[in-house]
Amino acid sequence: MNVIEIKNLTKTYGKARGITDVSFNVEQGEIFGFIGPNGAGKSTTIRTLLSLIYPTSGSATIFGKDCVKFGPEIKKEIGYLPSEVFYYDNMKVIELLKYSASFYKKDCNKRIKELAEIMDLDLNKKIDDLSFGNKKKVGIVQGLLHEPKLIILDEPTSGLDPLMQQKFFDLLEEENKKGATILLSSHILSEVQRLCNRVAIIKEGKIIKVEKISTLQESNHKKFKVEVTSKIDDNYFNLSGVSALDIKGNIISFLFRGNINIIMKKISEIEITNLWIEEPDLEEIFMHYYEKED
Amino acid sequence: MNMFIHELKAYRKSTIIWTCSLIALIVLFLSMFPTFSKEADAFKEIMKGFPEPIRKALGLSVESMSSILGFYSYMFLYTTLCGAIQAMNLGTSIISKEVREKTADFLLTKPVTRTKIMTSKLMAALTCLVITNVVYLAVASFMASIVKTESYSYKMFFMISITLFFIQLMFLALGIIISVVVPKIKTVLPISLGTVFTLFIIGMFAASTGDDALRYISPFKYFETSYIMKNGSFELSFMLLGIGFIIVAITTSYVLYSKRDVHAV
Repeated sequence: MNVIEIKNLTKTYGKARGITDVSFNVEQGEIFGFIGPNGAGKSTTIRTLLSLIYPTSGSATIFGKDCVKFGPEIKKEIGYLPSEVFYYDNMKVIELLKYSASFYKKDCNKRIKELAEIMDLDLNKKIDDLSFGNKKKVGIVQGLLHEPKLIILDEPTSGLDPLMQQKFFDLLEEENKKGATILLSSHILSEVQRLCNRVAIIKEGKIIKVEKISTLQESNHKKFKVEVTSKIDDNYFNLSGVSALDIKGNIISFLFRGNINIIMKKISEIEITNLWIEEPDLEEIFMHYYEKED
Repeated sequence: MNMFIHELKAYRKSTIIWTCSLIALIVLFLSMFPTFSKEADAFKEIMKGFPEPIRKALGLSVESMSSILGFYSYMFLYTTLCGAIQAMNLGTSIISKEVREKTADFLLTKPVTRTKIMTSKLMAALTCLVITNVVYLAVASFMASIVKTESYSYKMFFMISITLFFIQLMFLALGIIISVVVPKIKTVLPISLGTVFTLFIIGMFAASTGDDALRYISPFKYFETSYIMKNGSFELSFMLLGIGFIIVAITTSYVLYSKRDVHAV
């Protein structure tokens, strides 16, 4: 079953680019990554899902219901953490969380205490006095306190220290095990790689690929680094299947996709002092995607 | 209900301050009345020295000044000015503060319709104004009964005082529609003060020139105290226009607010 279905979603802001023809589905129980550079349209898509902004054309459904028409109803089961959190400054943390909980028709007190403990958050401080990272923690607790079935996170980790990020990821994985579906937007690939099952890559308002993380990594790309004894012809490795070719002095590095025997033969024909063959990390794969589109 | 209470709490302080200011104003003015009425003739002579347009603009009516109602209706002009600023501030800020303080994302991702948000905010603003008016009316009535020199019609006194509420409603509606039409209001005070004073000055012009068309522009002139005192009723055409304006402004605000895109900060 699909929790989120987005069909040909388009949003234009006058002349400025919004998103064009965005379509993808998020299945029940998965952690779905949504990645792209800044300004690619991640937030626009998410804000449309939450009916903070309304689509120019196309539609999106959440839990099978139109996200504009049934907005308030589906939001009962959505927890949202924006990239930048701002709350009523003159309130205490606990007051804000209770206000937030009052919108959901269930008792959230126990969950608030649990989450605050996990995230190491002081409930009696004024929001005004909190640091950026601590405000973010308030945001996390606020987004999760009603045990939502769908968690939408818009670049959630900025401002959190590595330890808190770790705790936060654990928390998300735990929620996911309990059955929550998660949509995680980010431009930090390592966190997407760590958490997600599938990803959609967005660039300049358009989806360029929706793929399983494992497939992306396994797409037969190998990262080669060769150290040669003497300088060789710049075009020696310039054959089909080779990309991101980079020659720095005696070190030649490139990505290769295809029959590995061809490249091994090529390497065996020259004198080398060292050789590294690695699985490329996602970052390199994505840079590759971004660059190819230019 | 939760949003309504939240808004009431948020505006508790400002409502108390505005109510106290209005009370201070009325106590100060009315406590001058005993001295004033004793020396009424001397004051009348001085006032006659002012050119007539200025007297009209300031709402000074020489003949009625020595009666408590006349005196009250003169100073009431400034009460409405003060009250209008309160209402306009309230109207302009109550919707726009979510965008300004960047809390719109929080509120609008909760399972509530925008109509409900608007209603809660509107009701909270109305409650603040009702509280202000009730307290004001109680204190004003009490002061008037202390300083009066002769008996006066309480019905008239009440009718004049209640126009404060009508004028505030019009400014509240005006504030709300402005806050919905203008995408992002950075500061409330210049907008509300600017609008209120402009309309106040237009009202003064209307009074001094006797131009009826101008009166329709300024809510301050919708309820002429002299008309109320003479006829014991409000002017129907202005009353209807006022109510019409409030209804149109509020309905439009609901529609616009529901359709509005809330952008990231």
